[in-house]
Amino acid sequence: MNKINLQECSKLALETGRIILQSGGATNRVELMMRKVCEGFGYDDCESFVTPTGIFFSLSDGEANITTRIKRIENRRIDLGKITQVSQLVNCLQSDKCHIMTHTQGRSKEFLKELRRIDGENPYPMWVTNLCGGATSGFFCLLFGGSWTEFLIAFIIGIIISASLKYISRLPVNNFLLNAIASALIVFLAKTIDTWVPNIRLDNIIIGGIMILVPGLALTNAIRDTMSGDLVSGTARGVEAIIVTIAIVAGSGTMLKLWTLLGY
Amino acid sequence: MQFAWALLAIIGFSLRSNLKGWRVLFTGLGGGICWAAYLIILFYSKSMLLSVFLAIIIVCIYSEVVARLMATPVSVFVMCVIIPLVPGRSLYYSMLFYINGSSGQASRYIFDTLMISGTIAMAIAIVASATSLFMRIRHRF
Repeated sequence: MNKINLQECSKLALETGRIILQSGGATNRVELMMRKVCEGFGYDDCESFVTPTGIFFSLSDGEANITTRIKRIENRRIDLGKITQVSQLVNCLQSDKCHIMTHTQGRSKEFLKELRRIDGENPYPMWVTNLCGGATSGFFCLLFGGSWTEFLIAFIIGIIISASLKYISRLPVNNFLLNAIASALIVFLAKTIDTWVPNIRLDNIIIGGIMILVPGLALTNAIRDTMSGDLVSGTARGVEAIIVTIAIVAGSGTMLKLWTLLGY
Repeated sequence: MQFAWALLAIIGFSLRSNLKGWRVLFTGLGGGICWAAYLIILFYSKSMLLSVFLAIIIVCIYSEVVARLMATPVSVFVMCVIIPLVPGRSLYYSMLFYINGSSGQASRYIFDTLMISGTIAMAIAIVASATSLFMRIRHRF
């Protein structure tokens, strides 16, 4: 088996780790996947230390040569599709019966190409994701006992919120401000619609909107990280969840208070 | 009825996070089971925390099984299916009461929120540890 370059292998592993971590994977999963990639390319001796904001990774060929890389992870967002695809790719690298890995010569090139394809892929056009945001918020509204009119309003608000989240996140604002603005927008829209449409209960609509923002992902990851012994990233993710929650409450609370002060 | 709405809501959520293919249907089903289990247990036991706890345990086991069948990371499923029980509702009410100046009720809802999140956390942790223990034992023999 012709081994690939040490540098090249560490680059591939780091790229794999980056994609999983940026799409919101748990840190021990990132470490596992990077180890699997290295083993798949013939290097057994690797160490990695992953936190939610960076990857430290060092690979040795069992002799004198060691290469170490550090990668800073900046923007993170939820993308479960990418996690799944990368995991499948890595597992199929290990099992050696994958269609893309048939010729050993260009294995690393093929692997990198596949990673790039997954990274750049956007499976759904924007209007579908917006529509789904709307559906989520609308059905949560129904779930908590809303009527059909409220469902419709929550649906529209959900669409607007999903679309505007995309635009706001292009601006240089941090996560706290992003969530605060989004939840303030939910309350603002709900209150505005409330002045035109009679006989609706605002509670259900606003809760439906908030459910899109609530950090279920950060909470789950925090617990899983802590349980697997990664105390640093577990704590970091737990604090992230708390901060996002505070942001949501602060944003919607400010807007509600402002609206009351204006006299409606 | 409630089952269908939870199912559709979770399908929307998982599509929004770029999940593809049959997995979307299974996460939706998981969300539906989660909410249904919660309601059924709530009806019989009249205790909110117990029903949240049991419902989360049920769906976590469900997602561990399904994720292994579909060759998908487990956390992908767990993340999606717990969403209906995440305490967005009591969070909102605590904020509302706090703004209206009734701190007593507000702190009751804040307490609720904390208790529910803690319960969810504990349930997920229990199932995750139990599964890894189980897999290790099965691997050994």
